[in-house]
Amino acid sequence: MSLIDTASAMPERVVDNAFFGLDPTKSGSAMFKGTRERRHLAKGETAASLIERGARTLGDRLNLNFETDVDLILTNVSLPDSCFMGCGASVSRVLGAKPKFILDLHNSGCVSFVYMLAVAQELMASGAVKSALLCCAQTAAGRVFAHEENRVRPQSAVPGDGCGVGYIVANDSSPIRAVVQRSFGEYADDMIGVTDDNAEYWEPHRQALHIDFTESKIATVVSRGNKLVPEMVREACKLADLPISKIDVLVTNQPNVNFLRNWREALLLPAEKQVQTFEEHGNMFGAAIPVCIERGRQTGRINAGHTVALGGFSHAGDYAAAAIWQPS
Amino acid sequence: MDINQITNVRRFENFPKDDMNALALDMTHAVYPHDEIYGPTCSLEEYVDCPPDEVFKYLADVRTLAEWTYSLRDIEHVKDDLYVFTDKIGGKTKCFTKVESNAQARTVDFHCSWDQGDHLWMIYLMRVIPAQLVLNKPGSVVLWTNCHHPFYDKNPHPELAPDGRKVWVGDMWPFFYAGHDVEMKNLKHICEARHAQGLPIVPEVIA
Repeated sequence: MSLIDTASAMPERVVDNAFFGLDPTKSGSAMFKGTRERRHLAKGETAASLIERGARTLGDRLNLNFETDVDLILTNVSLPDSCFMGCGASVSRVLGAKPKFILDLHNSGCVSFVYMLAVAQELMASGAVKSALLCCAQTAAGRVFAHEENRVRPQSAVPGDGCGVGYIVANDSSPIRAVVQRSFGEYADDMIGVTDDNAEYWEPHRQALHIDFTESKIATVVSRGNKLVPEMVREACKLADLPISKIDVLVTNQPNVNFLRNWREALLLPAEKQVQTFEEHGNMFGAAIPVCIERGRQTGRINAGHTVALGGFSHAGDYAAAAIWQPS
Repeated sequence: MDINQITNVRRFENFPKDDMNALALDMTHAVYPHDEIYGPTCSLEEYVDCPPDEVFKYLADVRTLAEWTYSLRDIEHVKDDLYVFTDKIGGKTKCFTKVESNAQARTVDFHCSWDQGDHLWMIYLMRVIPAQLVLNKPGSVVLWTNCHHPFYDKNPHPELAPDGRKVWVGDMWPFFYAGHDVEMKNLKHICEARHAQGLPIVPEVIA
């Protein structure tokens, strides 16, 4: 299986730190650490529209005919455009694609791109599909964290919206050498959406939905994340029969500057071997990996023949995955 | 003096909780360089399934160094509470040793030095803690710390070395964690084996 390329599509709206109304010299400003700006979805802008834009950029670059060249569409959207269903079918319609399968994954959030590689690999191995479009969109920044009630929460400055789309085919031209993924049910439910008036999200409520990482769990989630991601990358290296010293570039999800630093350090890599856009885009959840792959290729940091490690974890540690990619 | 005004004193009163959390996040890495952890001091700790007073008695008896250390052998009494061993890793090197212990606190400090017994600068600080208190189970927790004395980096008396000796104890500082971990495990396994079989932890005769 080969990952041919990725493309990004970003919302137009750029939001700087001042938007959040916190004094960067005061307490709590540490939450801004490493961020300069991020993108926010505008009202009316959808995950499907971002994905369409990313897919078209990729299609133009690779000269794809969506009708014949896409057997499988996988999507992951952090806050879906609509309740009940994902946006895969909308994406298929606007692109004029005729896929054999559409899977709207509503799990594996921040590491969904790598998780999708694992899913696609299985479907390709069965012979069911020969090509796939992997679509990851982060939509919660503009939709949830920009809300005036949420804006002042320290957590709100970190997320940024964005979208990354990847194209994979069943051949060996730009191979994924290994993919590993694992779920940890014991870490489910440690991150939840809540409202201050204690309404369920589907119930009528007056106060804005936001994300709750309970304070007592922060240290646990930090140490879990610190451990999980390097472990998965090491496991992927082992499966690819490569020592970690052969990694030329590391691309992960980008929850904050600390995780980025810690994962790089744990894999004994210098900063120049890590591609990330945290300062410019914040935490793009699942979109970060495909967006950073495009960034790496455009800036000459990911080149043909490189060994690229992709890895990450989602939510509070319920999913973790890694892959080794050798682009052509 | 207002202690909250002292640079780098961080207390609830002068360092808000959000800042404390951010600092904690920044200080918490996935991995730490060996030198950062074991450079200035070398501390290790071990659980031993043997009662704390027994482990204390074992450590405080200078003769048992010939059992649980990797290379101290052939004890001889020098004078008062000063003894000398041969440290086999240094060939014929003499290692002078004095034990200062406190049964109430269960601390055992080994004051040692290679080659001479006048200035015992290699100091091994150990403490035995009842595991019942800290781990809610029988047995002992043993703590062991060494500080990186400047003499480890430069032998103050090279003229006292036995002829032909090429090693200096401080050359092995980067291996102290490993060496001491092996010795700590020796201590653990010896005490646990004797305790499990109901034998005296400190034998009457030490080979």
